[in-house]
Amino acid sequence: MSVPNTMKIGPFVPTVLAKKRYLIFYFYTIWASIIPLMLEFWIYWHFLWNYDRPIHFYTFLPLLFFGLYISLVFSAIFFAKIALIIVNVIHKPKVGVFLRHPADKDYRYWSLRNTIRKWPFLVAHKFPFPFLDNICFKVFGVKTKLRNSLFEGWVDTEFIEFGKNVVVGQGAIVQSAVIIGNLLIIKKTIIEDDVHIGSHAIISPGTHIGKRSVLASNSVTIVDQQLEDDYIYVGIPAKKYKKNWFFEDGLQDKLGQVKDIEELIKKYEKIYIRRYDSQPSKKERKERKKVKKEVEKKRFDQVEQEWEAVDDGFNI
Amino acid sequence: MSKEGIAYEEPAIVNPPKDIIREDINMQYSLYITIFILIYYGSWILPGFIFFIYINEFFLSNFLDVGSFFSLFTELNPLIALITFPLVLIGCYLIRLLSVGITTKIFWRITEKISPSKSGIIPRNIRSKAANYYHLRSFMIKYGKNIFTKGAFPWLSNWFFKFVGSSKIGKGTTIEESVGSDKFIDIGKNCYIGVNSTLASHLVQGIFGNISYFEIKVGDNVTTAGMNQLGPGCEIHDNSYLLPLASTSKHSILKGGHNYYFGIPLRKIFKKKIMQYLGITKKDIERNENIEQAIKELKERKKKKIEPEEQSETEDDLEDTEDTEEVSEEGEVNEELKEEELNIDFTTSSAISRVNLKFLAVYLPIFWLAGLLISIYWYEYTKEGIMLSTLLFLPISILFMIYIFILGCLLFSKLILILVNLIHKPKEGIFLAEIRDTDYEFWMLRTAIRKITLWLLRNSPLTWLDMIAFKALGLEMDAGSHLNDAWCDAEFVKIGRKVLVGQGATVMSSMVIGKYLIIKKVIFDDYSMVGGHTTIAPGTIIGHDGVIGAISSTSYCQVLKDNWIYFGFPAIALKENKYAEERRDLIVKRDVDGEEKFELDYDVNIDEDKKKLIRLKEDKE
Repeated sequence: MSVPNTMKIGPFVPTVLAKKRYLIFYFYTIWASIIPLMLEFWIYWHFLWNYDRPIHFYTFLPLLFFGLYISLVFSAIFFAKIALIIVNVIHKPKVGVFLRHPADKDYRYWSLRNTIRKWPFLVAHKFPFPFLDNICFKVFGVKTKLRNSLFEGWVDTEFIEFGKNVVVGQGAIVQSAVIIGNLLIIKKTIIEDDVHIGSHAIISPGTHIGKRSVLASNSVTIVDQQLEDDYIYVGIPAKKYKKNWFFEDGLQDKLGQVKDIEELIKKYEKIYIRRYDSQPSKKERKERKKVKKEVEKKRFDQVEQEWEAVDDGFNI
Repeated sequence: MSKEGIAYEEPAIVNPPKDIIREDINMQYSLYITIFILIYYGSWILPGFIFFIYINEFFLSNFLDVGSFFSLFTELNPLIALITFPLVLIGCYLIRLLSVGITTKIFWRITEKISPSKSGIIPRNIRSKAANYYHLRSFMIKYGKNIFTKGAFPWLSNWFFKFVGSSKIGKGTTIEESVGSDKFIDIGKNCYIGVNSTLASHLVQGIFGNISYFEIKVGDNVTTAGMNQLGPGCEIHDNSYLLPLASTSKHSILKGGHNYYFGIPLRKIFKKKIMQYLGITKKDIERNENIEQAIKELKERKKKKIEPEEQSETEDDLEDTEDTEEVSEEGEVNEELKEEELNIDFTTSSAISRVNLKFLAVYLPIFWLAGLLISIYWYEYTKEGIMLSTLLFLPISILFMIYIFILGCLLFSKLILILVNLIHKPKEGIFLAEIRDTDYEFWMLRTAIRKITLWLLRNSPLTWLDMIAFKALGLEMDAGSHLNDAWCDAEFVKIGRKVLVGQGATVMSSMVIGKYLIIKKVIFDDYSMVGGHTTIAPGTIIGHDGVIGAISSTSYCQVLKDNWIYFGFPAIALKENKYAEERRDLIVKRDVDGEEKFELDYDVNIDEDKKKLIRLKEDKE
């Protein structure tokens, strides 16, 4: 409900600047989006203001600012969209693995597209009512329904598809582009209907989440991971946890809390590979490897013997 | 917060626990507010002056007082006004950012001279100059940080941190927004610090424990993909790549050298896994390690105008033996509905699933009514015409107007909230998350009403005033508690004395799972602490002096014991909360690549005359 105060959150537009001259586009969107507001203000001023300080000028002033803000959002969307269309005609946005270096054309244009999209998303998100965010998403190419709740986590602003009734939890990150080392990986992320994404979960590019699935909090999906329909996924990286029964009717009285926390911990330990700090030393690991090899050898020998036995059988 | 804690042979406790000093930290609010107002006022002087002159001398006569609409475009002067006004606005905004940097730098320098920031543990249970100035500096940097990273030009935030001197940042480095990474870090060139990646140079261990405050060193060309939490004292060398959510506790050393790290706590992963996790080929990894070669190839390709080859993903030898095991485990999932299956043993989120346009009907009157208050104030303020005194007090009155507006919103939304609660009393329980269900509908409505004020307060200059709104809107909390850097539901949460909810944590008293909405009260007892980026599920009860570490989550209705430290998914009891009794001049460094640990002595950062109050090395011998 309330977001941390040192972050913007909401739609995520990376601040990566491949070349400084891209800021010209940013200045252009700000500059162009303010001009319609000035004309609106001029009309208001022209009709209501005189130097006797009329009361009605002051009465409707809050409403004017409310209207001005909303028209700022829409004009920002309009002018940014025009710039974006031109840029996309010059270089079509592509998915793939690119270099994080200005020499790579796709990286440069990815950065440019983000720079253009930054201003409308910024203004839209500064408004407490989240409706404007969703309009922004739709205009800039994220397929979403207007009723989705996508504003409490960071959702990338291109190459994403959402279904109906998707919930992105507090502090979750939904990515379609990720920077790892010198690589920029862009892949299309698809999230289908009724998916719930827990708080602080991360969805990597290329993830496909099926209908009515849940990604629990603090889970990560790997690139190109496919999550099936009707399952709850937990873990780093996410693994199947159990079937999602919570979409069936009449369970109000049956939903229970965990009684035995020890058992739950055991259950979770299967999913999370726990790494304790008291990790085995190199010697211990070598010994373990030896033991493992011996076990393997024994098994191998056993299988061989069995096969021999079978062979004997054939021979007879 | 830390997982490993301090591992040494427990000596006999010299002082019994009752003798341990438990002083609340000293928040000098008067000093904070004075410094804030000076920074704020100082930042307005130059841009305000320029803007006023432009409006008064040029804009008013040449644009607003022009008679007809068409002459705005046809005549020269109105056209110039039309074109230049946005540019002047942007220019003044940039000058204001610059002024914030300059004024913050002045105060930062003064505090650094009185009590320089240095690596070391600051005891939190004893009042000291070091702790006071540490808190003061944290407060001071927040205003500038908010303005830069949340504002229209986040690219300038690197300049701000460098200019103020709070951290060193190399050329070509991008730092996305996060709760931390604002002070005492040293980042090299060409890094990418992903979104919500906290480089936390400070870490609070227990309300009456320590503040670990160590510089974080990050080398060149390091990337963190997103949500990476790095504890204080970490050393990350060149070319280390952190995958999403890879996090580590304090004093970890990553060797780098084109290594990839993943997991909590992070560990090195190998080539096969990297290719599997990132969906890339061997060729991409080679390109990554040998960037110059890759750029050459790119340029040659450009010259020849050959389209890049489609990367064939025929390399099927990626499959691990481990994965096949996983698949076989998955196959065993029972399809029958057991009682256990319906247990809520995982945590999701409490975001509203449906954004409803009809809530705009609530927003509009609240905005108008609160806006009218400002209108009245502005009417009275400019009654005598614009004089020098009006101009001089203008920055302060802008601040004043912001808070009048927010208070107005608070008042009217509170009134609406009372009405709504009279119609339908909020209650705990499990409800259907569908439009037909009245409990669900009213829960959404309450959330929407509360959101306005909290949202505005958290975007206002003095963000920590949000506790007023929280208290007014029905959250039981003590004013000394601190939760302003967390997602927090504003009903059915009870917070005791001096509670610290960490940065980026999520406190949920409601949770949506499938078709069901669960509302259950969350209780934090006195002096309890929640680490950063932790998820608190509904129904959690944290005991007196209890601590939950960073990046953990509690399960539904989990009860945490008094005086214990918890960590993990779900939170597991680790050890007793005894930070104040432990030795504080000893740190344990962890070499992640070699999987080794070694101990180091370190100076405790506290006034000389108070050193005898804490246990040091001599006590042990």
